[in-house]
Amino acid sequence: MSAINAVGLRKTYGHGDEAVDAVRGVDLDVAAGEIFGFLGPNGAGKSTTVRMLTTLMTLSGGTAYVAGVDVARDPDSARNKIGVALQEAGLDDRQTGREILVLQGRLFGMSRDDAAARAQELLELVDLLDAADRRVKGYSGGMKRRLDLASALVHEPEILFLDEPTTGLDPASRITVWDEVRRINRNGTTVFLTTQYLEEADQLCDRLAIIDDGRIIREGTPSSLKQELRDRRGLDSDPTLDDVFLDATGRNRDRVAGEVKEI
Amino acid sequence: MTVITRTTQPDAPAAPRSTAARDSLILGGRAIREALRTPDSLLPTMFIPLFFLVVNVGQAARIFPAEGTPFLEGQNYGAFQLPASLLLSASFGGAALYLVEEIEGGYFDKLRATPISRMALVLGRLYAEFVKTLAVATAMVVIALLFGIRIESGFAGFLVLIAMVALWAMVFSGFMQLISLKTRSAAATQGASMIFFPLLFLTPNFVPRDQLTRPMEIAATLNPVTYIMEAARSLILVGFDGAALAKGFGVIAVTMTIMLALSVRMINSYD
Repeated sequence: MSAINAVGLRKTYGHGDEAVDAVRGVDLDVAAGEIFGFLGPNGAGKSTTVRMLTTLMTLSGGTAYVAGVDVARDPDSARNKIGVALQEAGLDDRQTGREILVLQGRLFGMSRDDAAARAQELLELVDLLDAADRRVKGYSGGMKRRLDLASALVHEPEILFLDEPTTGLDPASRITVWDEVRRINRNGTTVFLTTQYLEEADQLCDRLAIIDDGRIIREGTPSSLKQELRDRRGLDSDPTLDDVFLDATGRNRDRVAGEVKEI
Repeated sequence: MTVITRTTQPDAPAAPRSTAARDSLILGGRAIREALRTPDSLLPTMFIPLFFLVVNVGQAARIFPAEGTPFLEGQNYGAFQLPASLLLSASFGGAALYLVEEIEGGYFDKLRATPISRMALVLGRLYAEFVKTLAVATAMVVIALLFGIRIESGFAGFLVLIAMVALWAMVFSGFMQLISLKTRSAAATQGASMIFFPLLFLTPNFVPRDQLTRPMEIAATLNPVTYIMEAARSLILVGFDGAALAKGFGVIAVTMTIMLALSVRMINSYD
């Protein structure tokens, strides 16, 4: 069974002449147990797609199933099966790390004692036990990311959505998060990951899709995408995932550097 | 760090179904904790209304002496002014400002991604607003008692008085939350409070309604806050006045119903 299956996913913001098509008919099929990477330039539709798959945004068209649940028809069931860590680690700075995890557990239906026990387990596992009773306001960026990741795992989800989980982190924290994502995946959780870092996708992902201008323009394993480019261009050596990305999006380094787009 | 997650267990029991009441209490508890950790935002809701109470009484007490001013029912002018200060303390809309901060910071989406009742996202903060206002209104009334003001309706009337003020705080904050959810902007939310604020002053807050100038009397009669103020005032000055209380609680019931209906609509269509 697919962990994630989307057909013809569309999202349009605004109405009439001001309508903007952020996602224009995305098809996705992610197998259970995969780490699936979702790449694209800024404003390509990555976050909008994630927000639709995680029930945070309505669909303008198409269908989406996560863990076998139709996200549009039964969002509460879908929410019980997924964990979500969005961009910028949205956390409540006035609470302690422990309070955030206990609250998250309670909102997923746990008793007070079970939520406290689960929080303790996760704090230990993400190396935040020493800071557990300090307010999040004083945490570093890396600590916030780890706490956010832990909070997405409180209810032991089948599928974990990570929206740019390492953006803004230093290299050491980034590698720690990568290790963690691999471990989570080894324990049976499907991971859907958006990233702007191609190295990250290359290191972590079993398969990936590249989205640009609201449409999927490449899909496959990192090695198959590189091989396809090598064969098509008749290259002597293996291209990098950067080359695949630039070829797929029709961008060159100058254009990417100068582009400003917001959706 | 090593996180262990359980692999899928198809026959594992489903998580208990959440209810709006349970979820609201959990989120409300968090909001109360948040308020206790930010006393700098809680204290003004008591001290600013007390400041206005002192200033207004200082300016007008000699015009309206206890003896010879029938509408004071033998009490000092502070007793007449107290309801206006209580309603002012209930009209800061703190819940909405916390909510918009949470929307801007991204934590609101984290909460939306949990399987809780959508209404709990609104009701949790309103429950906290109710509890906070009960505490602040109690403190204000106790301070007023120390300055010789009496609650003519007794202890039961005191309970009804602070419950009424706290319910109004929920209504006012609920409307402010609607603006937060619609605009998702702290500046817009703060600005909108200035639209609602004049409602507090288009009331018989200095003299009874029948002693206002005709245009002000019409404005006060059309203003729903007037009836809450008059109900609160009756508890302090007269005792249990069924007609005044019915109008006051009636206004709260109607505005609460409208606010909740709009909130359901807003939160269910929030994208």
